[in-house]
Amino acid sequence: MKLFEKLENELKNVPNGTYAPYFYRVKGFRRNLAANPSELRANGINALFTETTPIILKNEVITGNRFSLYTNASALELEYYKNLENSFGKRDFIHNRDHYAPNFDHTMEVGVTGLIEEIKASLEKHKDEPQKVETLNGMLIVMEGFLKMIENYAEEAKKLRGNPEYNQEYIEFIIENCTALTKGKPETFAQGLQLMWFCHLAFLMEGRYAMALGRVDQFLYPLYKKDKEAGIITDEQVIEMFENIFVRICDCQDIVNICIGGQNMNGECQVNDLTYCIIRAVKGANVPGPNLSLRLTENTPDDFLDECIQLIGTGIGYPALMNDDVNINALKKCGYEEEDVYNYSMVGCIENFITGMQPPWTDGRFDTPRFFDYVFNNGFSETNKSVGLVTQSIESMTTMQEFIDALKEQIDYGVKEYVGLFNSRNNVINQEYYPQPFLSCFCHDCIGRGLDINNGGSKYPSVHGAAIMGIGTMSDSLSAIEKVVFVDKEATLEELRDALNNNFEGYEELHNKLLEAPKYGNNDNFVDKYAVWLVDYVYELFSKYKTRDGGMIYIAASANIDNIDAGYIINATPDGRKRGAPLSDAASPTYGKDTKGATSTLNSVSKPDYEKVICGSVVNQKFSPAMFTPEKRKKLAALVRAYFKLGGQEVQINSTSREVLLDAMDHPEKYQNLVVRVSGFSAFYVTLSKDVQHDILSRTQQE
Amino acid sequence: MLNISNIQHFSVGDGQGIRTTVFFKGCNLRCPWCHNPETISPEKCLLKYQNKAKPEVCGRQTTADEILPELLEDKIFYETSGGGVTLSGGEVMLQAEAIVELCQKLKQNNVSVLIDTAGCVPYNYFEKINGFITGYLFDFKTANSEKYKQIGGNLQLVSENIQKLIADNIVVRIRIPLIRDFNADEKSIKDICEHLKSIGITEVDLLPFHRLGVAKYNAMGLDYAYKDQPPLSKAELKNIEQQYAKYFKVNIER
Repeated sequence: MKLFEKLENELKNVPNGTYAPYFYRVKGFRRNLAANPSELRANGINALFTETTPIILKNEVITGNRFSLYTNASALELEYYKNLENSFGKRDFIHNRDHYAPNFDHTMEVGVTGLIEEIKASLEKHKDEPQKVETLNGMLIVMEGFLKMIENYAEEAKKLRGNPEYNQEYIEFIIENCTALTKGKPETFAQGLQLMWFCHLAFLMEGRYAMALGRVDQFLYPLYKKDKEAGIITDEQVIEMFENIFVRICDCQDIVNICIGGQNMNGECQVNDLTYCIIRAVKGANVPGPNLSLRLTENTPDDFLDECIQLIGTGIGYPALMNDDVNINALKKCGYEEEDVYNYSMVGCIENFITGMQPPWTDGRFDTPRFFDYVFNNGFSETNKSVGLVTQSIESMTTMQEFIDALKEQIDYGVKEYVGLFNSRNNVINQEYYPQPFLSCFCHDCIGRGLDINNGGSKYPSVHGAAIMGIGTMSDSLSAIEKVVFVDKEATLEELRDALNNNFEGYEELHNKLLEAPKYGNNDNFVDKYAVWLVDYVYELFSKYKTRDGGMIYIAASANIDNIDAGYIINATPDGRKRGAPLSDAASPTYGKDTKGATSTLNSVSKPDYEKVICGSVVNQKFSPAMFTPEKRKKLAALVRAYFKLGGQEVQINSTSREVLLDAMDHPEKYQNLVVRVSGFSAFYVTLSKDVQHDILSRTQQE
Repeated sequence: MLNISNIQHFSVGDGQGIRTTVFFKGCNLRCPWCHNPETISPEKCLLKYQNKAKPEVCGRQTTADEILPELLEDKIFYETSGGGVTLSGGEVMLQAEAIVELCQKLKQNNVSVLIDTAGCVPYNYFEKINGFITGYLFDFKTANSEKYKQIGGNLQLVSENIQKLIADNIVVRIRIPLIRDFNADEKSIKDICEHLKSIGITEVDLLPFHRLGVAKYNAMGLDYAYKDQPPLSKAELKNIEQQYAKYFKVNIER
């Protein structure tokens, strides 16, 4: 059994008691419940770090886990602490809390001690500004607590010296690495990795999720190179250390993005020996986390891309392949400094992020197909229980353009509704009352400015992603209206309205005609033009608005599995989709409607201008395992490269065969470890609901 | 006019790179294992699949100019992968006269063309198009002239055509379908190897039988003689590969 497999088993034996981070946090609050907000929050975080006792596992080479957060406190205590925490309130995803990629390149350069020095220097500089002093004091409390936690790990490890149940080599390694980190910046690769893991663990202890690690192959490369040149480390050891971490990421069932590759400002591909180690470790550990994202460039080496496709072919489904040129050009539009653009990475599933320089990500669902209901029904949607505008009556429409103009008005209203609601939800939090002192220490330039990450500390303002739901559904619907109503004149808009409101019951003939209209994903401009239009139009509308602190509202063409939830509350649509059925997924065509082969699908989906989809997009493509032989992999690589030349932004390839998925629905017990990838994250198939399983099944399987 | 059944994008089993395959209707052989039964007859036919409401009509008369735009759609994929267009069937060479224009126009557009043929046509058919294409994917079924006759072919004609193509410096890739009860026993394999070697062949592609065509037979309301024939096992395939490998460089199309 390999080391990471032993660790995987060890992680299953959780300690006795209750997993209760809030218990420790409130212990910290109770140091002074009437403290100023910075101090209060900082005390809570400090207690998470210092009032917990690390538990070092036998199979950890890089140590750190959440076992320390269990407690045997009494039920009364737990209830009281829980209530108290709730009363103090907290930020949520929508309030810029998680989905963040830290500026680890700086962390590696100075270490924890260096950050503490910076905080002290900033305190000195801002000593006459009380608000900043408060903020910086909060940062100092948490970073000193963090340093103490690392010390505690070293001390706990020392207690295990001579314990025959523990591999003494690992114990000495842990002691050496943790001790070094309490004294200065990381000097070896292992120390760098240990520091990165402690930071990530600390974020988890704080209660964040979907925290990205950023460009691991870049910020750890200097230490790796140094160790390799000194001959003190082998790639096998590096891979083992990564595997050791990856099984813990998986154990947390979290979406942790790791960005690899990419180009620098001179256009040179940044894939290095460490990048290879990372993908080999992912292959070795074979777990559906981390979320690996490859920034693919024209000069990414063929052998590296092939290794990535091989990894995808194991059934694990990642890395997701990202078109670096498109993303860079998209981000350049936002006014970021060029150097910062080239250092972007992804957070969450696929969201483009200026690494360590803007507040945590937020996004939401922009359900476009519901706007049809308002056009057809004088501004009302029974299914969606919502009201749009009264636009031109369908009875008086004589051209497709008139229909589109009405739809545009509805979408325009919908964008305003979305932005208004988002900004009010996002801004309901008092930024000063809910500071994030620990997170701020990993964001440029909160320490220097003496400001919290959400209160002007970050170099760039917060951005938001409005995820267009149902690009395929929208395009197919407009195509069906144009074909059936205006070109073939086989039905009137009133008949179409009645058919939609009756979920096509009694309108089978019309339903068939709608289903036969050209569909997105077959390289047919009759319908593809609508996808292009939708992206242009929605981008134009959202670009008019800003977040509370002046950042951009991006658009996204990713759905995770939200296209299913969105579909539940949307009436039947003119493409022939029935009421409540899933919308098309992310930037992909509607399931099963792209029937001409992968090149046609990709010809279609590369037509929208993705430099406007600044947040990012997802195109899912599934291939049978037979596509992953050495000869066929070359064809897949060529397929992806050509698609990116055409301007495609992203593709996620999945290799699981339909037969396997069907069998897994009936015999889940046989497929406990079957991993599938859906729009940006991987999951164990058997853990998904039947609905989602069906959704995965019905994605077109390209041969 | 071109008589075609279908245009298939992202073909990855019909020659080098990513290709678009045009399937032509009409065949002069009657191989009972054929997995494209809809291409055998030049006449239109109906395919009624269980999961589809409407039957599909298979077969249309078209022209080079009409299909050229669709064939050029994937040009960037051809360029990136070293692919192109494959003309298959049915027996595309029965329409040799008609495809000359198509091959010419593809060549003018710098698109490589491969012809997938069983080669049972007079050599002057080949001569019409040799100048415009990259090469032939040449099916070779058996070295037994009786068996060739059974399926409507002619071993001597096939062999001569291969030799003439080689003599004319045309690229020929020999492709052998592996059919358990027809050409996959040791004796048949040995005969095929000896025969091909004698006419100057150094490399072969092996195409293991699969019965995925059964869906098409059902859709056409026909019985498929090979519906119960399981695919070759890994061990069988390995054994066959080893026998061929004694004579040729072998590629297996999986």
